[in-house]
Amino acid sequence: MAAAASGKRVFEVFVSKVPWTIATKEIRDYFGQFGQVKKCLLPFDKETGFHRGFCWIGFSTEEGLQNALQKDPHIIEDAKLQVQRNRKTLIGRKSNKEAEES
Amino acid sequence: MAALLRSVRLLKYSPTALLQVIGSSRHGLTASRLHSGAVGTKCVGFNGCQTVPRRFNVNSLFSYRSALPSASCRHYGVVPEQRGPFKDEPSLAVRSKQAQQFDWALAKLDSSVRRTGRVTKTLLLRIFHDICRTGYPSGNQALLLLRSCGSLLPEVPLAERTELAQRIWEKLQELGATYDVSHYNALLKTYLQNEFKFSPTDFLAKMEAANVLPNRVTYQRLIAAYCQDGDIEGASTILGFMKSKDLPITEAVFNSLVTGHARAGDINSAEGILSVMRGAGIEPGPDTYLSLLNVYAEKGDTDKVKQTLETVENADIHLMDRDLMQVIFSLTKAGHQQYVPEIVERMRHERGYVPDAMNLCLSLITQGHEDTAFSVLKSFTGLQVESQTSDSPDLGNFFLRHCVNMDKSVDKMAGFCKDLKDSGLHSTPLQFTLQCALDAKKTGMAVELMRRMKEGGLPVRPHYFWPLFTQHQKDKNIPGILETLRGMQELDIPADVETYTSYILSCFPSVDCARTALKEAGCDLNSDSLIAAELRSDASHGNLSGLLSLMSSSTLPAIDLSAFRASLLIGFRGFQDVELMAKITEILYKDSRFNRVDPENSENVPYFLYNLIDAMSETEVQSKEEKLREYFSLLKNMNISISGNIFRGIRNILESYHVPELIKDVLALVDRKENGMLTDGPLIKRVEVRMTFLEKTMEELKAEGKPADSTLKKIIAILCAEEKLDRALELKAQYEQDMTPASYAMLINLCCRHDNAEEALNLKRELARKDSEVALDAQKYVALVRVLSKHGKLEEAVDMLKEMKEKEVPLRDITINLLTLTMNAAAMKGDATTIRRLQQTIFTLGLAKPSSNLCSPLITCYLESGDYAGAYDAAVECHKQYNQIPKIHDLICALVEKGDAEMLQKVMEFLSQERGEMMMLYDLYFAFLQTGRYKEARKIIETPGLRARASRLQWFAEKCIASQLMEPLENMVDMTVKLFECDRDDMYHYLFRLCKETNDWRKAEAAWTKMQEENLIPRERTLRLLADILKSNNQEVPFEVPEVWFEEVKDQPDMFLEQEIKPSHMIQTSPSKKATASPLKEATVEDYKLRLLSLCKKGKVQEAYDILKKADRKGMVLGAAPYDALIKAFLASGNIEDAVAVKNIATNHIVGFNLSDMASNLLLITQVKRGQMKDALDVLKGMLQADQMPSQLAITRLVQGFGSEGNTKGIQEVESFVKSLGSIKLSSMLFVNNTALSHIKNGEFDSALEVLESVYTQNTENQNPSISFVFRKVLDANNDAALDKLSAMAERLCNHFASYRAATDLFLMYLDTGRAEEAKFLLQRCAAVAEQKDVMFAYMLRASQQPGKAAIIRTLAELVPDFAEKEAIYSYLFKCYGLDKDLGSAKALYEQMQAEGVKADELTLKRLALLYREAGETVPFKEPPETFRFYADKLKKQRSESVSPADD
Repeated sequence: MAAAASGKRVFEVFVSKVPWTIATKEIRDYFGQFGQVKKCLLPFDKETGFHRGFCWIGFSTEEGLQNALQKDPHIIEDAKLQVQRNRKTLIGRKSNKEAEES
Repeated sequence: MAALLRSVRLLKYSPTALLQVIGSSRHGLTASRLHSGAVGTKCVGFNGCQTVPRRFNVNSLFSYRSALPSASCRHYGVVPEQRGPFKDEPSLAVRSKQAQQFDWALAKLDSSVRRTGRVTKTLLLRIFHDICRTGYPSGNQALLLLRSCGSLLPEVPLAERTELAQRIWEKLQELGATYDVSHYNALLKTYLQNEFKFSPTDFLAKMEAANVLPNRVTYQRLIAAYCQDGDIEGASTILGFMKSKDLPITEAVFNSLVTGHARAGDINSAEGILSVMRGAGIEPGPDTYLSLLNVYAEKGDTDKVKQTLETVENADIHLMDRDLMQVIFSLTKAGHQQYVPEIVERMRHERGYVPDAMNLCLSLITQGHEDTAFSVLKSFTGLQVESQTSDSPDLGNFFLRHCVNMDKSVDKMAGFCKDLKDSGLHSTPLQFTLQCALDAKKTGMAVELMRRMKEGGLPVRPHYFWPLFTQHQKDKNIPGILETLRGMQELDIPADVETYTSYILSCFPSVDCARTALKEAGCDLNSDSLIAAELRSDASHGNLSGLLSLMSSSTLPAIDLSAFRASLLIGFRGFQDVELMAKITEILYKDSRFNRVDPENSENVPYFLYNLIDAMSETEVQSKEEKLREYFSLLKNMNISISGNIFRGIRNILESYHVPELIKDVLALVDRKENGMLTDGPLIKRVEVRMTFLEKTMEELKAEGKPADSTLKKIIAILCAEEKLDRALELKAQYEQDMTPASYAMLINLCCRHDNAEEALNLKRELARKDSEVALDAQKYVALVRVLSKHGKLEEAVDMLKEMKEKEVPLRDITINLLTLTMNAAAMKGDATTIRRLQQTIFTLGLAKPSSNLCSPLITCYLESGDYAGAYDAAVECHKQYNQIPKIHDLICALVEKGDAEMLQKVMEFLSQERGEMMMLYDLYFAFLQTGRYKEARKIIETPGLRARASRLQWFAEKCIASQLMEPLENMVDMTVKLFECDRDDMYHYLFRLCKETNDWRKAEAAWTKMQEENLIPRERTLRLLADILKSNNQEVPFEVPEVWFEEVKDQPDMFLEQEIKPSHMIQTSPSKKATASPLKEATVEDYKLRLLSLCKKGKVQEAYDILKKADRKGMVLGAAPYDALIKAFLASGNIEDAVAVKNIATNHIVGFNLSDMASNLLLITQVKRGQMKDALDVLKGMLQADQMPSQLAITRLVQGFGSEGNTKGIQEVESFVKSLGSIKLSSMLFVNNTALSHIKNGEFDSALEVLESVYTQNTENQNPSISFVFRKVLDANNDAALDKLSAMAERLCNHFASYRAATDLFLMYLDTGRAEEAKFLLQRCAAVAEQKDVMFAYMLRASQQPGKAAIIRTLAELVPDFAEKEAIYSYLFKCYGLDKDLGSAKALYEQMQAEGVKADELTLKRLALLYREAGETVPFKEPPETFRFYADKLKKQRSESVSPADD
């Protein structure tokens, strides 16, 4: 809760190569195995109805982040995800609010 | 030098060896094939291509031989020799645009064909649309489109292709395109490729009616058409025609006859054609055999096919895979697909096999033979096909997609998918097929596919349906929505909250409507997802009362706030009804149904409050201050409380939004027990007095023994920004325990900036002791590396690099460039050890990949110290270790200059071994050119067998242009005349570009003459460039060329009018000449039109307007063109009001009247001139919406307008528009410079500096863009504050980044604006500016072409006294005096030259003599007798000789 308020680090990974068949729920469930997922933002293109193939996962703890980063490869329904530490945490601040709903 | 020449001869390996190299290359083979293919068609060659103004390699489009259909495409490349000149072209401006568009369209199509061998229908239609929207398609545009309507469209059914060709034909004709024989031939070709049945006699009649004479190609194609139908009689008639006209009978004709006889059922005669050919002296070629193979294939006679293939092989004729594919196609079409596998096996899988085979598959699918296509597809196994990057196999994506597009049955597709999946060729074929069906919005097919997936145990999810919803949603198509919903129900996939919110509810006018419709459709109205979606809908629409009642309803299931938080934020931000808001907040706070996720945690609402404030912008919070206060106080009364943490978060936002007054209202919400602790803390801070306040706070905190880390950080940040290193260090020493890693990082960076390696290192170590985990960002690390290596602390620098690796700090291009700069600095000191060590560390750690840039400092280092052997060894070392050969050109040049033949020989051997002889020869060639050894250079480039390497030639040309080296470039252009495959127009274009740079119209004119000598037909871009150079020097342009009309608007509106109106006027007058003369009383609409246009042309705008009003009163409608002309005329004189009035009249008469592109552009420019920026932006938006093209000038003016009024956002907006346009060319600095100016205007100097600085710190070394414009503007505005900052920046760039362009620009701008003192001081501070000779000479050259600049050049010469090129400066000065007619100064200068012993060249004397004569005085010396041109040429020659060495 207070993470954003006090400007602490957000423990985020950036995930790309998400197959189109996977939606937020599946992604969230998958990353739940590494730690509590606080945020899961998988933007959909309202024009096409498909998502854009990448998403951000925010963990509540550093540990979750580390667990996720240590695992390789990340396979979800036969597709290999690309997972990397999210370097641009600053941008995340404003998009937080989108995260909870999608 | 003789020795060097000898070495050159040695290097010129025996021609046979060289030819072997070339002969074995792939290109060599194909080229020779191309030539042999053209035997017998000697009257047609590739020369024809050159009449087409082309910019890109037209050949690929023309010569691409598509595999299909059976009609032979081998001569697709043949261009008919007759090409009509441009006739009745509407206006120059339109023509220029056409040329641009042609280039663009050609490039698009060309790249598509090159990559895939096909064009998509979408692309073709888009280009067609684009061409139509200009209104006046040109002949070559039409040709381009028509050519693309045949077998280049394998995905389109044959009939549809023909239809498209005819549509294009008619539409373009309607728009005024003139067709010549090439167009008719192109149309014929598409008919043949599309197997379209037409009557050749009718076709000929049509040509005759249009007064177009058929040529050999026409007849050939007509014969082919008869033969396709097996009509030998018809073919013979045409053949008779050809004979009577003495046209040669080519191989192509015989090939057609083979097909013709066979299709007529007479296979013996078909076979007999071969001997007939031989009798006529034409040896059957691959195409002949292909025709034969095809006819056997059509008969299903595989024995004959095999036999023929053997014959072909024995005759040493090479059939390509592509040819065999035609055989496959013939077999399949005739129903003999069982033989296809045999042919497939024979494929050699040559380069280009995959795209060809893909096209075969596509054509087969299109024409209903998907099973055969599938067997071809499976022959791809083992070949790398699409998406090599993907980890899982996905062969056949294109296949599946096309099946979907062609509406193949789901059964069949599922069968293909199963096969692909089972054979491991595709990991998710069904999912992919579904994706395609969804993309194509095929609901029925998609649902059916999903059913299969479900049956196969694959998951099916609600979001699979979203793509289907999107289209319905856009159309507000409720039945469509419901149908899709039914699909979901059928598959037992209930819609989830997202589906309801994003795709369903939003289509209905209200939630109630939605409920009714959904109920009818049989949906569960009480599902959680629907209710959550309703909550969201109400919330986001601001329907708070509805929301409140829904939320308070006892039947509502538990739904966590997170399910509708974002919508609620949207709804709340309006602050319509604070009371309702508070009530909703209370329910959220107290009703545990909304806190399902984490019931223990009571932060749900407080966090929501934080989000609310965070979601609002600064102005929003400021304007809603009262409402917020009210809201908070209501919450307080409801006993809603928040934690200190959340409070601090909100407080920080409020502070940064400058509404500290609200903080106390939020504070009131904090739990009482926590509240007490907080009030002592600093609640409200003012930015203005921040520093003093912070320092005070600091002391207070310290006195109270409280932690003060964040305050300290803020202070240090301010000190760093003010560059107060000492004070910052003092503070650090004082409050060491409060230092955070961020504070250290800032401080370290500051030390680096101040070149204080010792302190930087100390701080870094201290930081490491405190927290070994902390990592700096890449830029700071590199800054450390830089300063450490500079001060000889190499090991420490290496340690930093290692630490970066350990801590996984990623390097971006900017930081990598900084590393290059670091090593370059070492290179300048000759410190190779440091460079090697850094290089090695960087590469072995993998911080950056070895690049030519990163490797070059090492070579530079040796070159600088003149150690060429060392440089060579270093280059070899770099090549061995990192596969880079940087700076080799510089090394070779140095060796040539020095005449070190032995070393040169060594380098050449090395290069030829590593990069091949061809590359080595080019390297040597460029070195000779660069060093002025033209004789030697010529010997190299004339080496037999050498062919043009466009990229290498371009590399050198660009180098010459960038550093304004005319002589080497000119020589290169001269020497490459005979070079095989050299694009001559390109070469001249380089030359003109440099002429443009140096503004040398004489040179340009001479080059143009040379082009004529060479019989070259320049492309339009080349002509435009040349015309531009001539015009800007007030020279007459001796040819007709599409001018970019708006260039003239700014200076000479009258001229613009003349030019603009003339062509349309001519069109109008020619048919009815007498009408102009006839008096107005019996005037017809036509007369009014002409009168109006002629008045506009004469610039009598008001009179023209009167005519219009008169016509209007009589109820006459003059048509769009005259209205537009008058509007333009008004705009040209800056009269927006009347222009708008005319527009209104036009709109009244013509529905949907729109300003033409030009008028819109003009309107926009006029508005900018008047400062009506908002209107101007609206015009731009309107243009984009109307699909019009804004002109370069209009955009430039608009951006400048925004820049000068400080509207940064406006600039960004325009930039994003322009990016979306794509095809417009603008200076890369336009947006940068004006963004900077805009920031300056707003007093945001730091932002301005950031923008400008990044230009130099982030670019590679070669790019050296000018920011003179910014300096000029700031100087003109006398904005001293900005100037201080800018000049500090320029100096910083000099001193820290070794980037001198900015300072040089500033220096010259100082001079140019008469601020000699400032210029002098700047020079003292940045001595390196004096070395930027290229920039200075470029400046002087430009200056010497304007009157009144002599004084400036004088001052420049005084300030930079060590200019070695005294004569050059003096000659510029004479040029100036000549322009100014200043005989007195010229005399004085001449005396000075004599005193200094500087010899005046003949050109100077000539100029001086002219001055004397013009002043009526006698010339006191013997005037050189020849013309100016003569001496200019002579001078040039002398210079080149003085540079080239004397042969000993």
